[in-house]
Amino acid sequence: MHVIETSSGSKHQIEIIPLEDGDYKSLTKTRYFFDWKTEQGYEVYKLRIAGSFDVLGIISLERIPQEWRVHIRLLTVSIENKGEGKQYDMIAGNMIAFAAKIAVREYAEYACVSLKPKSQIAQHYIDRYQMRITGMTLSIEVPEILDLIKSYDNE
Amino acid sequence: MNSNKDNVLIEDAEYGLDSLYNSDKEYESEATLLMEARLKRMKNLSKDQIIRAKLMQLKLRMEEYLKEPIYDNQNHFSDFLKVYVDTIYSTRSMFAKDINITPIRLSQVINNHREPKEEFIMKLMIHSDKVYQNICDFQMETWYQVYFHEKICDTMSSQDKWKPKLAKDIKLSESLK
Repeated sequence: MHVIETSSGSKHQIEIIPLEDGDYKSLTKTRYFFDWKTEQGYEVYKLRIAGSFDVLGIISLERIPQEWRVHIRLLTVSIENKGEGKQYDMIAGNMIAFAAKIAVREYAEYACVSLKPKSQIAQHYIDRYQMRITGMTLSIEVPEILDLIKSYDNE
Repeated sequence: MNSNKDNVLIEDAEYGLDSLYNSDKEYESEATLLMEARLKRMKNLSKDQIIRAKLMQLKLRMEEYLKEPIYDNQNHFSDFLKVYVDTIYSTRSMFAKDINITPIRLSQVINNHREPKEEFIMKLMIHSDKVYQNICDFQMETWYQVYFHEKICDTMSSQDKWKPKLAKDIKLSESLK
C-alpha cells in the first residue's frame, strides 16, 4: 500500500497502525479536524509513510459482528492533504481499504464497510469507492469490496 | 453559487468525515434498512464471488497470523491448508490429484499425522500462485512462512520441556571473554 506525492508523482510505502496513547496530544483539531481524544475507547489507526512519524490520516472504526459490518466512525486526512493542493493522494482510500481488509478477514463473503456522511459529500464516496446508498448509510460489500482491496494492494 | 459551494464540500470530503449516527434510534433504523438491502444482494452472489471472498479472507488471516508470535496449541498450517482445499474443491482427493500426491498423504498432512515434505509445500505454493492470480496479490511463500512461523512459536513456547534436558548436553569448551 502506498500514497502518491502529488508534486512528483512518486510512490511512498505506507503503514497503518493503531494510534498510541502518546499520539493524542499531538493531534490538534486544526490539523486533524476532530478532537480525537473522544475516540480513545474505539479502534483508531493512523496512516504514515513507512519510516516517518508524521501522521497523514486517521480513522476510527467500530466492528459490528452481529451485522458482519465495520463502520467507519470518523476519518480525516491531515489539513495539508485536503483539496486540490494536497501533498499526497490516496490517503483516505488506503484507510477505507484497510477497514475493508478487516471486514473481509472477519466476515468473508458477508463483509461490509459502512459510513454515514453528510448528504452533500455522499456522492464523492459513491463515485470514488463504488459505495452503495441505503437510507443515509453508504456501504461497500462483496464483490466491490474485494476490488477495492485489490486495487489499493496493487497500486 | 451552489455549484461553488458543492465543489468546496467535495474537495473537503476526506477532511473531517463525521460518520457517527445521531442517535441510537437512527442507528437502529439505518442498520435494519441496510441489513435488508444487503441480504437481498447477498442472495445474488455467485458461487465464484463467494469463493473469491473466502480466499481473500484466508490470505488476510495468514498475513495476520504472521505478524505476531502466537503461542497456542492450534495447528495453523494444516488449518489454513484445510480451509484452502475445502474452499476450492468439492472433495480433497481432487486437490490431491491436482498436485499429484496420494489422497492418503494429503489427509495425513491435513490431520497432523505427518509433517508436510518440502516438495508438498512447493507444490502448494505453485497451486496457490495460480489460484490467486485473478483474485488478489498473494505471495506464494506465505505458506512456507506460516509453516516455519508455527514451528518457531511451538519451539519457543515449549522451552520448559526441551531446554533443561538438552542443556545438560551442551558445553562451551572454548569460552568467550
